[in-house]
Formats: sequence, structure tokens, C-alpha cells
Amino acid sequence: MQEGKPLNSKQVNRELLVSILNSPKWFFGALAVLGLIVLIAMSTAGFMINQGFGVTGLNRPVMWGFFITNFVFWIGISHAGVMLSAILRLSKAEWRRPATRAAEILTVFSLMTAMTMPLIHTGRPWRTVYWIYTLPFVPYDYARGIWPNIRTPLVWDPSAVYTYLTSSILFVMVALIPDFAVLRDRTTGMSHRIYGMLAMGWQGNARQWKLQIIAGVLLSALILPVFVSVHSIVSWDFGMAVSVKSWHSTIFAPYFVVGAVHSGVSAVALVLIILRYIYGWQNYIRHEHIDALARLLIVVATGWFYFFTMEVIFGFYGREADEIAVRNLQFTVSPWNIWMMIFVGMTYFVPVGIWLSRSMRRNLWIMSLACIFVNIGMWLERFLIIVPGLARKQLLTFDWYTYRPSSVEWIIIVGTFALVSMLMLTIARVVPLIPLYDIKEGEILRTEIKIGRVTVPAVFRED
Amino acid sequence: MAATEPKGHGQHAGMWVFPDATVMTADMGEKTKAMPRPFTMALAATGILLILGIVGFIARAADDGFGEIGPWGYYMAIFSMVFMVTSGAPLVAVAFRFTKSHWRRPLSRVAELFSIVGILNLLMFIPLMFLLPDIANPGEVAENELAVRRTIWFEGPIGAPHAWDLLGVAFLTITSMAILWISAIPDMAECRFTATGFRRTLYSRLSGGWYGTKRQWNSQKAGLALLGAFYFMILIFMQFVISSDYAQSLIPGWKDSIFPVLYTITSLQMSLGAILVVLFIMRRWGGYEGYVGKSMFWSASKVLLGVTLLWVYHLFAFFITFWYGRLEIEQNIIQYLVTDTYAIIFLLNLIFSFAAPFAVLLWNPVRRSAWGPALAGVLVLFGGLMFNIRIFVGAANAAPGAELFQPIMEHVPAPVYPDIWDVFMVIGGLGAAVFIYLLATRVLPVISLWEVKEGTLYQKWGKFMRGEYLILGKPE
Repeated sequence: MQEGKPLNSKQVNRELLVSILNSPKWFFGALAVLGLIVLIAMSTAGFMINQGFGVTGLNRPVMWGFFITNFVFWIGISHAGVMLSAILRLSKAEWRRPATRAAEILTVFSLMTAMTMPLIHTGRPWRTVYWIYTLPFVPYDYARGIWPNIRTPLVWDPSAVYTYLTSSILFVMVALIPDFAVLRDRTTGMSHRIYGMLAMGWQGNARQWKLQIIAGVLLSALILPVFVSVHSIVSWDFGMAVSVKSWHSTIFAPYFVVGAVHSGVSAVALVLIILRYIYGWQNYIRHEHIDALARLLIVVATGWFYFFTMEVIFGFYGREADEIAVRNLQFTVSPWNIWMMIFVGMTYFVPVGIWLSRSMRRNLWIMSLACIFVNIGMWLERFLIIVPGLARKQLLTFDWYTYRPSSVEWIIIVGTFALVSMLMLTIARVVPLIPLYDIKEGEILRTEIKIGRVTVPAVFRED
Repeated sequence: MAATEPKGHGQHAGMWVFPDATVMTADMGEKTKAMPRPFTMALAATGILLILGIVGFIARAADDGFGEIGPWGYYMAIFSMVFMVTSGAPLVAVAFRFTKSHWRRPLSRVAELFSIVGILNLLMFIPLMFLLPDIANPGEVAENELAVRRTIWFEGPIGAPHAWDLLGVAFLTITSMAILWISAIPDMAECRFTATGFRRTLYSRLSGGWYGTKRQWNSQKAGLALLGAFYFMILIFMQFVISSDYAQSLIPGWKDSIFPVLYTITSLQMSLGAILVVLFIMRRWGGYEGYVGKSMFWSASKVLLGVTLLWVYHLFAFFITFWYGRLEIEQNIIQYLVTDTYAIIFLLNLIFSFAAPFAVLLWNPVRRSAWGPALAGVLVLFGGLMFNIRIFVGAANAAPGAELFQPIMEHVPAPVYPDIWDVFMVIGGLGAAVFIYLLATRVLPVISLWEVKEGTLYQKWGKFMRGEYLILGKPE
């Protein structure tokens, strides 16, 4: 599995801190462009809040459209962090090392971005507080007898997402401590003081390493149930609604979780390829890593396809008129059926077809394309679950309608992609997106075994 | 056999074994043909159980015939139990071979040998084929009845579900046997020179012209990979078919897309449990300590823990969706299978498939032992039996006669308790499976020689800093 040349500690520090200590020329330009897009999206959201939902394509009965689709999409992306970092750390997969930090940080930013979507979607974001709190300084509840309904998944959702966000930030911070110490020792002035504070007195002694490793393993194990619960609860936003027949399905929770891992890991692979290109990290993000991610994705994608098939088959299984109406819209009515074909093709058949070939897995351009396909497909998947279900909501068939997103929604959606990109770019200026200590540990543990005339890469293992 | 002392230090003391490849073939040859007294007694005991099972089957057929599926609920349950274990076990070997896990090496053949028990599946399935009611309503379609009941076959194809189900089970059995055969070719080729009697003839015939050329090795590995992928697809499909045709479609109104997944997870959990039990017995009483290190249990137990958590997650996803929905049709299903009719069986199922193994496997020292994962294996096997009784006895007796064609289960039926013939069939089914497995271990080496030998090349004990640690070779 080890293909690169051996790296020494000095070289690792020098090359991986390049994004922090020496900003490339294009950095501020790119940041400005992304910032402008975010600003436009924020202004558009402000305009929508001022004017009301009439400026969007949302209607009755399709009251959930692009915003909720995008919310589920970004929650899905956030699943990459734990998938790669916690699971692969627990399973001691060597190839995880360069991928973990970017995945964890992507988790944090995509969760933050996801949570803006329901806020915008409420149309009156300040009223969101009534979902959760009955505080003395919010007299509205008491006066009108309105209390939060804690039995609704819409309340479970923020609880789960914020728990995940908090634990993900903790996870990132614990893993960052040794790297903050490296930065502390290589900076001056204000930066030195801030990194010093974040490094929390790290000197790299045996006790500190032991505690850091134990904390990492414990957090990995503890964060896993949170990771599974988040997207399960998001799926139950839909699954608990018995009035929308195609949503009320027992398989939704694992189906959403596997889909989230699929899109999230693809997004991480794409981020790694971009990082390799823009920062010249060929020694760290090697073809073997992208290859391993692609092989993992074959398994995840196939699992996802199995769940998708079950969901569709049992959609038809009941032969209930309510559900058949939705399936009919999804599979036989244009343009929905065309979107459906594009979604299945982009999510499964095209990328998996690509990943089956070793040479394709190691071609970074093709891999980028496959990862983009997966994410377009997964975005469409959420859209095709949400909108047709509502458009054919029973039993008031006179209310059947369709949905056409307005430019306001498009701008806000594009803005969220710009926001995540901007945040990733900004954080690359502050923390190393490839963990220095993890790479160094990998270098120490690597060795070779001679079998006959062949030398095989090997690794030292304690267990 | 000549093997080094188990290696490891600190909490991992005695974890790794490094078998001596030079004496492995001779040693395994001896072990395969040996018939020690405990083994003979186990064979006799399971043989008696098999006979009891046959008696139970004949008595049930004489009492109730094959007209109604209701009296055969326990037979369905034990068929499903054996089917889940024996069809899932080869997949365990295939999966860990795909992931290139070195620790899987002593486990592969133990898992693949369950393919031979697949023959029992096929035989047990034949009566079930006749018992499964037709899809089309045979009588006059009354009000509130369906002309065609809800199944995964909808209104076709021809012969569905009976012929297709049988074809599927047969295909699954053949594919798993093919995997076993291809996997065992190098071992049989090596043993053919030292074996005697029927084994010599069998090994010579089945190993063909194997001489271990590079081309032959490449073909064998490619064959295993292709058949493994193919088997994975057939297995998932057949578990979907069996769980739908013999469980879900027999309970009117039960539309549960997660159930086939839960069935497959239960199958994998039970198979891994059964494999760990077999490996523990081999290590403890079979003289295989030099081949089966504790590291194998340590790694496999983590997988078992993961599968156990997945099991309860899927069960909860089913329960919360039905419970929260508050639809009468779904409440009836919950009352029938979970909270009322089969509540005690459900509770046992939950305890033995989740709570107890979870409590055992949670502890690192237990997972690092050989007995801990094996104990968890026994627990999940019992839990799996409860799962099958709850689901299949429930399904067979949910809607007698024309009620099967109603769109929903309007009343919650009473539980069906086993009579003496049911007890005979259940213990007979289990006995038969063990009996066939024991016989299979006398035909083929129970350790995959070529894989373990390959493992000795990739795993070394070497010096690192101030201590000695395991060095794992990663060929690709």
C-alpha cells in the first residue's frame, strides 16, 4: 500500500505548513470571489425574508423544496468526517492518514452550512426559537399557550445536529493539539500566542501522547452513535410523516445514512484531489490513497444501491393508490423520470463503473469527475424524495401540483457551496489540512518484508 | 505441530501464532482423518437428533399434511435458521478475503465448509415449496379481499414464487459449493500425495491438474473473487426472497422495507457467531492452538460487535417508524410480532441478539480472549433462533385460509406454541446441520492450508525501537 518515498519530519513540517506559512498568490483572489458569492446569497436570503415566500417556488402542497434538499445534502456531506476518521482510525487503516483532517473539517463546515437551510426555510428565522425554548424572555409562548412539541423529529433534528457539531469540533480540536504545538514553535507575535493557547502546553512527552491517543480513540467510539443518529433523525423528518406515503418507510434511516456516507466520502476524495493540486502535496495525497477511497466507495455505493432498490420495491409492494401516484410521477412522468435516470446513473452506475478499473481509480481527473457525479446524483436523490412525495400528497388530489425553483432559491443554494469552499480555503490558512503527526507516525511505522525475490511494503502493528 | 510460542506482550500477550509451514500439510492430513472419541460421540449425538427430526417431520406430515402452512411454522423457523447460518458463513470468508485481512486466514475454510450444509437447506426447502400458498386468490374474491396477494413477485413471472424460490436456493447452494471447491483445490492437490483411501481418490479427482503454477494461482484467485462477488449478489437476493415470501407476504398488511436488510444482518451475525464457536472448539479441544491465535478472535469480535449494533439499529428503525406512525395496520403488526403475541420471544430475541452479546463484547479483555467471542457467538445463535421462531411461526399462523388475501391483519392472532413434533423438528434441524458439518470436517482440511501458509510469509515478528512487534505485509 505504501508507494511514496520515505519522508523525514522536517520535510513533512515544511511541505504541509506551506498553506499556512506561505499563502499562494491566488489565495486572496479566490477568497474574494467566493466571499462575493456568499454575500450575494446572503442578500438574496435577506430579500426573501423581507418579501416573503412568494418569491420562491414553494407552494401548497410542495412546501419543502430546494432548501430542505440542500439541508439534507449538506448533512450528508458531513458524514464523511466520522466515516473516514473514526471508523478508519478504529480499524487501523493506514491509508486514512492524509484524509482524516480534511474530512473532519469538512464535517464541521457542512454541518454549519446545513443548519442555515432550515433557518432560511422558516421564512421568519427569529421564530425558530419557539421550536426549542420556552424562555421567560420569549413571552409569546406563555401568552398564547404555545409549547415546543418535543415529540416531533423537527426538534430531534437540531438536537442531534448540534450534538454532532459539538462533538465534531471537539474531535478536530483534540486531533489538532500536536499540530498546533508545531505551529506555535514556528510562528511569532499574535499567531504564536494564539497557537500557544490552542496547543494547551503540549510538549510531546509520553504521557501527553498517551492521553491524546486515548482521547482520539474514545471520541471515535463515542462519536459513531451520534454520526448514525444524525442522519437517521433527518430521515425521520420524512419517515414519521404518514400523510406522505412515499416517505413513510422503515428503511429510510439506514438508507439515508449510507447515502450520506456515499456522498460524504466522494466529497472528501474530491477535496483531497483539489488540495493535492493547489498545494502540491503529491508526496502525501498519493494515488494509492485515492485508489483506496474509491474501493471503499464501491462497497458504500453498492450498499446504497441495495437500500435504494429495497425502498423502491417496497414502494410498489403495497400496491396502494397513494404511493403508486408518487412512484408514477417519479418513474414515468417527464421531467421527473429523466431526473431519476440521471440520479441513478450518476450515483451508482457511472461512478462504480469507473471505480472498477484500477487505472481509472488512479486517474485523478476521472476520479474528480466521478466524485462530482456522485454528489450531483445524491443531491438529486434528496430532491426526488422530497418534491414528488409532496406533489402527490393524498388525499386531497385537487391539491396536486408541481414545483419550479425560483432564481432566489438557486442563488441561495449556490451560495452554500461557495460558503463551504470559502470556509475550507480560510481554514487551510490557519490549520494544516493534512495532520502532521499522523503522517509522521505513519512514516515511523512503515517497513518492508522480503518474500523470496520480492519486497513487500509492511507496517508495524501493536494489535 | 511445530509452531513458535504465541507472541505478543502487555495486554496482547499470546495473541499471535506463527505456524510452521513445513509441517502443516502432514499435520492437517493427520487431523483430518483422525476420529477421536469426543468427535465420534458428537457425531452419534447429532445423528440421533437428526433421526428425531425425521420422526418429527414424518409425524407432522401424517397429522397435518401439506395443505396448510400454519402447522409448519416451526419447521419454517428451523429451515430459516439453518439457511441463515449456512448461507451467510461463506460470505464471511469471501468478505474478509476481499478486504485482505490477514487475521481471517484460519477462519476461511471453517466458514466455507458450511457450504456443504447447504445441501440440507435444499432438502429442507422442498416441502416448504409445496406449503407456500399461491399468489392468486384460489376462491371467489370476496369483498375486502385481494385477487392477488401482496408479494415481491407482484403478478408474475410464471412459476412465482415456488419454482423461482427453489431455483434460487439451489443456485445458492451450488455457488457456495463452487467457492469451497475452488478454495480447496490447492490444499487437495497438496494432500493427494499423502492421503489414503477415499480421500486420496477424492482429492486427486477434485484438484484436477493443479501444480501451483503462477497461471493456476492467478486463475484460482480470480475465480474466487468473481464467484465471491456473484455469491454476494445471489445471497442478498435470496435472503430478500425468503424473508419476503415466507415471512412478510404471509402477514397481511406487513409492508416493511427494512426487514430483508434486518434478515441479512441477522444472518451475518449468526454465521460469524457460529464460525467463532467452531474455531473456539477447534482451538480448545481440537489441537489447533498453533493455527488459531487469539488475534483472530480479537479482530472477528470487533466485527461481531459492529454487526450486533447494526442489528439493533435496524430493528429500532423498523419499530420507531411503525410505532410513531400510529396507523392501525402497523400497530397490529407491532402487537403481533413485538409487544403482545410474541412478546416473550421478542424479548429473548432482543436480549440474546443484542443486549447479552453487546455486554460481553464491550470489554477489551473479553474480546482479546478466545472464549469471550465464542460465548457471544453462542448467544447470538440462540437470539437468532428466537428471531426465526418469532418471525416464521408468526408468519405461518397470521392469516389462516382466505384471510391471507385481506389487505390488512384486522385482528391480532394468538401465539402458537410448539408441540412435541415441532420440538423434534427444531432440534433435529440443528442436529442435522451439525452432523453434516462434522462429517465435512473429516473430508477436507478444516484449515485453509494455502491461506495460512501465505499468511506466514506476510506476518513476521520483528524488532521495533526497544521492543518486538508484529510486522504486517501489505502486498497491494
